[in-house]
Amino acid sequence: MATQWTRRQFLAALAATGLSLRMPVLKAAPGEMAITRPIPSSGEQLPVIGMGTWRTFNVGGDQHLVSERTEVLKTFFELGGTLVDSSPMYGSADDVMGEALETLNAHDKVFAANKIWTRDGGATREQDRETREKWGIERFDLQQVHNLLAWEEHLDTLKQMKADGDIRYLGITTSHGRRHRDLAHIMEQQPLDFVQLTYNVLDREAEQRLLPLARERGIAVIVNRPFQGGSLFRRFQSEPLPGWAEAAGCGNWAEFFLKFIVSHPAVTCAIPATTRVEHMEENMGALYGALPDQQQRRKMADYVAGL
Amino acid sequence: MTDVNWLSYSLSDFLMFGPEVFLRLFVRINQDFWPWQGIAVAMMLLIAGLLVRGDRLAKRGILLLLAAAWIGCGAGFLMKYYGPINTPATWFGWAFILQAALLTVAALVWPWDGRSAASARRWQAGIGWLVMASLLPLLAVAQSGNWQGVALFAITPDVTVAASIPCLLLLPRRVRWLFLLLPLLWCLFSAATLWTLGTRLMFVLPAATLALTIVGFWFSPRPAQSPG
Repeated sequence: MATQWTRRQFLAALAATGLSLRMPVLKAAPGEMAITRPIPSSGEQLPVIGMGTWRTFNVGGDQHLVSERTEVLKTFFELGGTLVDSSPMYGSADDVMGEALETLNAHDKVFAANKIWTRDGGATREQDRETREKWGIERFDLQQVHNLLAWEEHLDTLKQMKADGDIRYLGITTSHGRRHRDLAHIMEQQPLDFVQLTYNVLDREAEQRLLPLARERGIAVIVNRPFQGGSLFRRFQSEPLPGWAEAAGCGNWAEFFLKFIVSHPAVTCAIPATTRVEHMEENMGALYGALPDQQQRRKMADYVAGL
Repeated sequence: MTDVNWLSYSLSDFLMFGPEVFLRLFVRINQDFWPWQGIAVAMMLLIAGLLVRGDRLAKRGILLLLAAAWIGCGAGFLMKYYGPINTPATWFGWAFILQAALLTVAALVWPWDGRSAASARRWQAGIGWLVMASLLPLLAVAQSGNWQGVALFAITPDVTVAASIPCLLLLPRRVRWLFLLLPLLWCLFSAATLWTLGTRLMFVLPAATLALTIVGFWFSPRPAQSPG
């Protein structure tokens, strides 16, 4: 079947090729496609590496740091990322994200994900509106109930908002491996598009119940704390990568940790957070190249456990 | 649905910023406030001078200057700079302003007597206080490695609270606890924050002040030094 390219597709491919040539860190062949996964409820493709803002974008009114974070976001978009996740819980992160999106004129590049974080079950729409105004966007692509807080009331409103077209997808989040039993119950009962949970090469409890359940129920999975809040680097960065890591598509520890996560068939996207452009470049390396297979994933987990 | 395991939480789960952003607060306020740091230095010299003088008027003056310092920290550093990245800092900002109001009332309303300590002790107190208030700001410089990150009295809270404690010992024991409550709470909050951020040099200050505050609850100046 012949493929017909539009002018826009051709220009995008040309830009991606040029980009890959000037970024050796990716080791991506010219024209190499980013790894994407479909959102089960719609089939829409998402790049498997997204970006979080926890503890990184909360810089208050510090214009020097706002500029630095803007560069991080710019790098993220340039390297093929789309999903950015934040929360009203993260201090000034939403304000800073709005400023960065405005500077980069990138409102149409972002898959905007945020959370409802309030005990007031009647304040769902109000908080969604406040956060949208901070980001400077018409609507969030994904709106999630943060850490199951007042989840029944918020989820009811989010369902209505989705039906009204005020959001595209809805979801619910947890982190640090907490409340997995509750989350499983909600996943079984509710029509969720997304769940967000903690999963990494050391914290693997989600493999037992939540990830299989997500596949079974057709729920996209966003993985937070992929580096265990940075502690994976503190613990293992001084150790050598195994000789077989290159064959598993991993050229550095960031790719090793991230590719372990996104190679799980139930995972849609991982959202590492960083304050530095060079770390963003390393993270985005996991968006390209080979993914480890099942056997290699087992070896990765065993290797880290043995260090 | 109540299987929340609170023991699984750590202090770092409640901190939404890293040490870089926190240390930048000191640089930013100094850059924005420049060159008005001279006012803070003048306040330090005045307090030291009033400690040496030691009479009724001096005691009132010290408390009024402390009130101004607490307002400066509360409305400036805590509410304008720290609050946007850490909501409890805004609450503390209001509490600092309340503390300033208390200090003002104590300065103007309390029936201070004219007794004062011996001259040598007053000189020791004044010079000792000035040395302390001058050296403590350097802990932040040592932590960040940046002179612009100096944490001055009357501008930043840890140094202001630490430098206030010896002066608050001037207050009679029966009312002193009222003035030491906020320093106690602030030191607990600040010590926990700085420990979690890993800024261990700066952690020393609220931790030591906390110990001094607890001692202050029970310690009473000798009658010759007591104003009440």
